[in-house]
Amino acid sequence: MTVLTKTNIDKGLAILKNTQDSKLITNLNSCVHCGLCGESCIYYLTYKDPRYLPAQKVDLITSIYKRYCTFIGKNIPFLTNAKDLDEKNLKEMVDLFFGACTMCGRCNLHCSIGVDIAYLVRTGRMMLAEMGYIPDTIQSTVDASINTGNNMGITKEEFIDTLNWLEDDLKDEVNDEKARIPVDEKDKNILYTLNPREPKFFPLSISAMAKIFYAAKESWTISTSMYDITNYGYFTGNKEEASIIVKRLFDEMKNLNAKELILAECGHGSRAFRWEGPNYLKNKYDFKTITSVELIADYIKTGRIKVDKEKLKQRITLHDPCNLVRNGGIVNEQRYIINQIAKDFVEMTPHGIDNLCCGGGGGQLAMSEYNERRMAIGERKADQIKNTSAQIVITPCHNCVDQLIQINSYYKLNVQIKTLAEIVADAIILE
Amino acid sequence: MNWYIKLTLVSFAICLITYTYHLIKIISRGKPKDFSESIGNVGSAVLYSFTRGMSPKKKESAYLHIPTYTAGMIYHLGTFLSIALFFLILIEVNFNLKINIVLSVLLFVSGFCGIGILIKRILKKELKALSNPDDYISNLLVTGFQLITAIHLLFYTPVYFIIVSIFLLYLPVGKLKHSIYFFAARYHLGFFYGRRGVWPPQNKV
Ligand code: SF4
Ligand code: SF4
Repeated sequence: MTVLTKTNIDKGLAILKNTQDSKLITNLNSCVHCGLCGESCIYYLTYKDPRYLPAQKVDLITSIYKRYCTFIGKNIPFLTNAKDLDEKNLKEMVDLFFGACTMCGRCNLHCSIGVDIAYLVRTGRMMLAEMGYIPDTIQSTVDASINTGNNMGITKEEFIDTLNWLEDDLKDEVNDEKARIPVDEKDKNILYTLNPREPKFFPLSISAMAKIFYAAKESWTISTSMYDITNYGYFTGNKEEASIIVKRLFDEMKNLNAKELILAECGHGSRAFRWEGPNYLKNKYDFKTITSVELIADYIKTGRIKVDKEKLKQRITLHDPCNLVRNGGIVNEQRYIINQIAKDFVEMTPHGIDNLCCGGGGGQLAMSEYNERRMAIGERKADQIKNTSAQIVITPCHNCVDQLIQINSYYKLNVQIKTLAEIVADAIILE
Repeated sequence: MNWYIKLTLVSFAICLITYTYHLIKIISRGKPKDFSESIGNVGSAVLYSFTRGMSPKKKESAYLHIPTYTAGMIYHLGTFLSIALFFLILIEVNFNLKINIVLSVLLFVSGFCGIGILIKRILKKELKALSNPDDYISNLLVTGFQLITAIHLLFYTPVYFIIVSIFLLYLPVGKLKHSIYFFAARYHLGFFYGRRGVWPPQNKV
């Protein structure tokens, strides 16, 4: 365990003293303690414990801010409950910021003021990262990315081997010996990324996307040295490590000279690269970056791929990944795609930008110490799914897929969990 | 000029200077420098943030808590009314008795809403756990400000100026300064969701 020193404290406080723009001071000074945000958060809804109110997370970081950065907090701490950055409060910060928030941002929309609560939690995580208080479990995922190039530590040989047999499968599937999964090829239109869960546990989702590219006659490639779209450095709050991961993908784009980077079905990965990445690198990208969801919607709209509108007879529902939807603006594209394929599509309540987090966000899947909590908060999602009576749940995010699979078995929902690429690939009409 | 009016003017000046300090701090730091490529319209999103995004139909903090939300709205309207009346009282604008009675009744209603909110804070376990002395002091001062304004409209009392002075001195200190930061918070939310094409919600496909 990290020993708390004055240097450590100063490092943490430096994050709070950030004067780059007015967003931080604004959010640190805005909460009015009305307490009306509880029902918007899956943690509070599950436990009904005042500790899990989003406002308590806000209060924890603002009370430290007040103690060190405001006149009243420095001189009359009792008045505003200004708190020292000590071992006790650090323990609470780790538990609330890492263990009791998925940074889904749902509370932001419903807060009576408009406090960006998820941003404050992220700031709290950044403080903890600076001070060396990141939980070992999630840090080991970041270490794997930094040391091996992907968060699952898959070797290059293993990866190439997987792609080879997937390519053989693709040839059989489309009945074309020339069908390929092109690797490390330069000057293609598209560099496609993956969530390492795909080669490790769900290789068929790679074949699904390969089939879509084949049908669209796309010029594309996968890099064997940097294909991982995930970025757990974004979750830990360690900017340097998050930047290293983003920079590697950026450099690989340059190396392979592709025109567009396509972000695989991974909510946080898309967010970390598309929205946070340029800010980590302090540079605008000079290439187009979009998600595979937008790309597939565009293929269908422009007629580059044709899908069988009668393909899916079962009832379908959709889980909106928070990072893709509420924090990434991809709301209608997935609905457009599903409506092209499914006859019986039922929305969850609530859905879209107001969706409930599945409980696997914020790095929860990488922190086994919070497994019990993660399963408990997943009950809201289980109820939402049950209420739709759907047989298939679609979600364009591999992290959500993982959490939904666990929810499915834990709450005995008896549904199938699929990605968008999988259902589109199944419905493709090859010409 | 009476000493209590002088006191109020000095307090008002201090309040104004401190508020200006907060305002300068917010404005000089500016908006985030974002290098990502926006897919939305920040202007419309900020507008949405201050309008439809604030609608009680859109926020659980409103539609799941109708009594508290209603009391809160009335309470805030009472504060705005009291502030407007403060300026009129300072420049010695007088209304007739009928208008004074109507204004007083309105302020008593809003003041009682404030008392209701205070009682809720004391009685509800989640709120109590969240509260600190500043929350109680802020409520008492704002409620006191409204009630003393109501009384002062009917019976001129120097106590009004003393309570207003305390209120003005406390305004930029504790959570009451959300009266400035609220606007910045809504702006930032609009900026964030606007760049990402989340707000205003629209059917893009
Ligand atoms: S961001 Fe999500 S999980 Fe975190 S406090 Fe808000 S609603 Fe709860
Ligand atoms: S709803 Fe917003 S202002 Fe009210 S307590 Fe929650 S975070 Fe604070």
